[in-house]
Amino acid sequence: MLNRAMFLASALALAAPALAQPKTALNIGMAAQDIGQLDPHFAVSTIDRTPAAWMFNGLVRFAPGSTDPATLEPDLAEKWESSPDGKTWTFHLRHGVQFHGGFGEMTADDVVFSLKKAGDAKTSAFASELRPFQTIEAVDPYTVRLVLTNNVPSVLGILTNYAQGFIVSKKAVEQRGDDFKRNPIGTGPFAFVSVTPNQALELAANESYFRGAPKIKKISYRFIPSDASRDLAFQNGELDLNYGRADQAWVNRTKAQPHTIVDVFAPAELAVLHINTTVKPFDDIRVRQAVAYAINRPEIVRWRGGDVSREGAGVIPRGYLGFTADTGLPSNNIEKARTLLKDAGYPDGITVKMVQTQLPEMLTAAQVFQAQLKRAGINLDMQVVEHATYHQQIRQDLSPIVYYSAARFPVADIYLTQFYHSRSIVKTPTAVTNFSHCDVADAEIDAARGETDRAKQLALWAEAQKKIVAQVCAVPMFETLQVYARHDSVDYGYKLEGSMALGPMITEATHFK
Amino acid sequence: MIFYIIRRLLAAIPTLLAVLTLVFVIVRIVPGDPAIAILGDRATPEGIAALHAKLGLDKPIWQQYVEFLTQSLSGDFGRSMVTGRSILSDVSAVLPHTIDLTVASLLVGAVVGVPVGIWAALHRNRFIDYAARLLSLIGLSFPVFVSGIFILMVFALHWRLFPVIGSANLSDPLDRLNKLVLPAATLGLVMAAYITRVTRSAMLSVMGEDYIRTARAKGIPWRRVVWRHGLRNAAMPVVTVVGLYIGILIGNSVLTEIVFNRPGLGKIIVGALNQRDYTMLQGLMVIYCFLIVVVNLITDLTYGLIDPRVKQA
Amino acid sequence: MRVLAPAARYPATTIGAVFCLLIVAGALLAPWIAPFDPNDQNIIDRLQPPGGAYLFGTDSFGRDVLSRILWGARISLLVAVTSIAAAILVGGTIGMVSGYVGGQFDLIVMQTMDVLLSFPSLILGLIVVALLGPDLINLVFAIALTAIAPFARIARAPVLSLKERAFVEAGRALGFSHTRILFVHILPNILSEVLVMGSLWMATAVRTEASLSFIGLGVKPPTPTWGGMMRDGFENILDAPWLSIWPGLAILMLVLGLNMIGDGLRDATDPRLRGES
Repeated sequence: MLNRAMFLASALALAAPALAQPKTALNIGMAAQDIGQLDPHFAVSTIDRTPAAWMFNGLVRFAPGSTDPATLEPDLAEKWESSPDGKTWTFHLRHGVQFHGGFGEMTADDVVFSLKKAGDAKTSAFASELRPFQTIEAVDPYTVRLVLTNNVPSVLGILTNYAQGFIVSKKAVEQRGDDFKRNPIGTGPFAFVSVTPNQALELAANESYFRGAPKIKKISYRFIPSDASRDLAFQNGELDLNYGRADQAWVNRTKAQPHTIVDVFAPAELAVLHINTTVKPFDDIRVRQAVAYAINRPEIVRWRGGDVSREGAGVIPRGYLGFTADTGLPSNNIEKARTLLKDAGYPDGITVKMVQTQLPEMLTAAQVFQAQLKRAGINLDMQVVEHATYHQQIRQDLSPIVYYSAARFPVADIYLTQFYHSRSIVKTPTAVTNFSHCDVADAEIDAARGETDRAKQLALWAEAQKKIVAQVCAVPMFETLQVYARHDSVDYGYKLEGSMALGPMITEATHFK
Repeated sequence: MIFYIIRRLLAAIPTLLAVLTLVFVIVRIVPGDPAIAILGDRATPEGIAALHAKLGLDKPIWQQYVEFLTQSLSGDFGRSMVTGRSILSDVSAVLPHTIDLTVASLLVGAVVGVPVGIWAALHRNRFIDYAARLLSLIGLSFPVFVSGIFILMVFALHWRLFPVIGSANLSDPLDRLNKLVLPAATLGLVMAAYITRVTRSAMLSVMGEDYIRTARAKGIPWRRVVWRHGLRNAAMPVVTVVGLYIGILIGNSVLTEIVFNRPGLGKIIVGALNQRDYTMLQGLMVIYCFLIVVVNLITDLTYGLIDPRVKQA
Repeated sequence: MRVLAPAARYPATTIGAVFCLLIVAGALLAPWIAPFDPNDQNIIDRLQPPGGAYLFGTDSFGRDVLSRILWGARISLLVAVTSIAAAILVGGTIGMVSGYVGGQFDLIVMQTMDVLLSFPSLILGLIVVALLGPDLINLVFAIALTAIAPFARIARAPVLSLKERAFVEAGRALGFSHTRILFVHILPNILSEVLVMGSLWMATAVRTEASLSFIGLGVKPPTPTWGGMMRDGFENILDAPWLSIWPGLAILMLVLGLNMIGDGLRDATDPRLRGES
């Protein structure tokens, strides 16, 4: 009897703290096999970008929960000023910011080192973003000066807590060399602990974080590729946050579960059909117009779901600085598409090859517009390849029609330059992602970039978008927002409306209620 | 015996070399550039060239080959091109999960399959026998992902008896066991189906032999005949087949790992394929070959234990 | 066929044959009996439960599941038949030639086959298809590759014993070519075993194809395949469980049918078992 009492007492003792105190360990489910790159300057995929933003800071940051450039606020830099001509920028760093793992105080040396690293193609995937800077130098341990070659629409945009803007520890990179990408050191609220291959990335609270010790003490970022398994695990309470599926059925079902909140947030990725204007049959604008008329945006959105997607309204995502909806985008008209094809000399329709990734979320959407094009007599012969091969082949100009989905920094210049400027045409030395060989708006895009008068700049960008639509370099289809499910006990500590990290920011204020 | 083991191991070397070469060639002639897999959305000609230099992909093919061979043979399986982690450490991190699953499902298979097989053989052409044969046939016809999904739905989601995520904390035996139950049951049922069939037919052919008839004629109790003579002689083919089925088991474990979200060799392979992780893929193939050689060796040695004559057909 | 007559006496074979015939009929008649175009999307009617206009329900694209099952049977059968036929042809030739030539050559060939045999067939198929790209031809190639070794073994064993027998010796003495001896005299002797193994391996091929499609390495969309439908079903299992039930049952029926036929044939041809029941 005594034994039983003792057992009960000890069982209660074990259970008690769990009841009394809120949880501090956060379990997050991610659709991934494994983590890819932990070096933030190589964090390209959604999988890698989200945790990078928990571990690192930039000079400035978007207010947590926002992707609006108007909200940019001090992060590692306390304040900054620019010269009257807008070409010289001086940043004053916050004092006493400590790197993880005893790597010392963050100083101007680390900032200069990081930006130079991020600007070098050997050590960064985002090198081209830092090209506008002529010099990057430390004035004193807490002051950094940057000089621009030409004006750019948003200097702060380059230096945010996003991609090329992340500040790493110079000492750690130099000391660890290649090992840095397995054991990264930043200044963020959470520090790297370990990776268990195929299972999880473990992070721990950075107790000396400059905004205060995080309330969450441990993050387990778990790799669960199957949507269904992740959902089951979330339902079972094994996950607190779950990477969601941009699909109405998923949203409806998840919302209906007890204690569950579905967060839908920016940025939206715009899915576009880029049409190679230089090859047959697409060198005839009537054929390109036929494609534009065949695409049925409302139907795609009905398929995807209105909560998580919306119709593409132009050749850049809506809401970007400089976006215009007034481009005269054709709407669905199968008859017109067929007539255009007939006029172009294809009364029996056409069959075109398309290189298509086997990535499930893109492959499913591709099947929807494939069926739409078929109704107008345009048969897409999909060559389904593995995702890396897709990225390679479309860059070798092997696909006359390219389905690409992307979000960029929310300023028109970047999206327009990368996708529609002739300098970015694929298979050229300066190639980025211009798959359509579009060159009709070069003048406007270039002029807008250096334009200091905001009204003129907006007008130039609008003109560029109209020209691209008129020439049918690309057919916008739909925008997909980011979706996460959250147990209602998790409080982010801010209102989640957007995240450049493509996943919710976990800040020092995030906690369990 | 030691001499025999050494000879078997030596015989595996040319095979291993051939496989290494084949893997090296296959991995390189196919489309898909690892640099692009890493850079993805951000692949520019400049970035790709820089990454090629860093990964050593700009070196002449023969040089890459020689380096690969010397490294593999010296037991250095290299590092993943993508994550930069050591392949051996990645594999050893998941290997316990794979071994857990393999051993557990073999165990389930043997515990269910051997008695059912014997029982069916002793009741030949009676209801029990027909039922066992039909069920085992259904069992081995059921694709693992079908039965796995069903088991997951019922036991993890509906009754909430077991967790959905199968990645266990290795240092916690209870957690390990808890997360092993459903996957091991799924694969174990397939194994049970195979083992039932093999045991049944092995028993049938042994029980037909002369010495069994003699033993029975001598008046030795039936039960003893079965245990003494029947089982021992039927064990041999059962072990052979079980050895062969380990290959099937490893293959099916990929599907089990996907359905139950267990870490393991299969999942690493799928990941490496998706990422075009050359070095990882090469390292995995070498390790796989090594595992297969070891399994075959163990099977052979088990023969020796069961039947000292070790007559190989 | 002396194999088939006794085999028909086994109820398992008959049931298996009925299963397979049903599926073959479904595949052949798909254009006439499928109620809808298998690739026709009706987004409004997506994820409809079984019943009503869509007997088996609709998938996440609003496509009719029954029609896709019927058309999907074609892919399963096509892959199974062609890959196993190729494996029998290639493996059989390798085995017969290797056994016939003998010596060092035989040793090397058979060791290679052993390596191939011991490599898990799903892993091998996975690597081949992932690297060559998901495509019908590559799928057939990958599955055939995994099935070559067992047929080489089957074909070789009887050749070894047969080539010393009187009628082969006689043939040689008469100046018949090696090819003629191999094909005219040896082939008929191994036919029954090849048939047994053929049907069992076809079952494996169906399962392998379904497994690869399930992993996402199947025939390219929108072509319906059972494995691909299972995958779709698995991803939507919480919204639409029927999506995985129908293709699961279809795969089970075909694999079970083929296994039953193989089993029955084996019982019928195995001299130790014949006549005992």
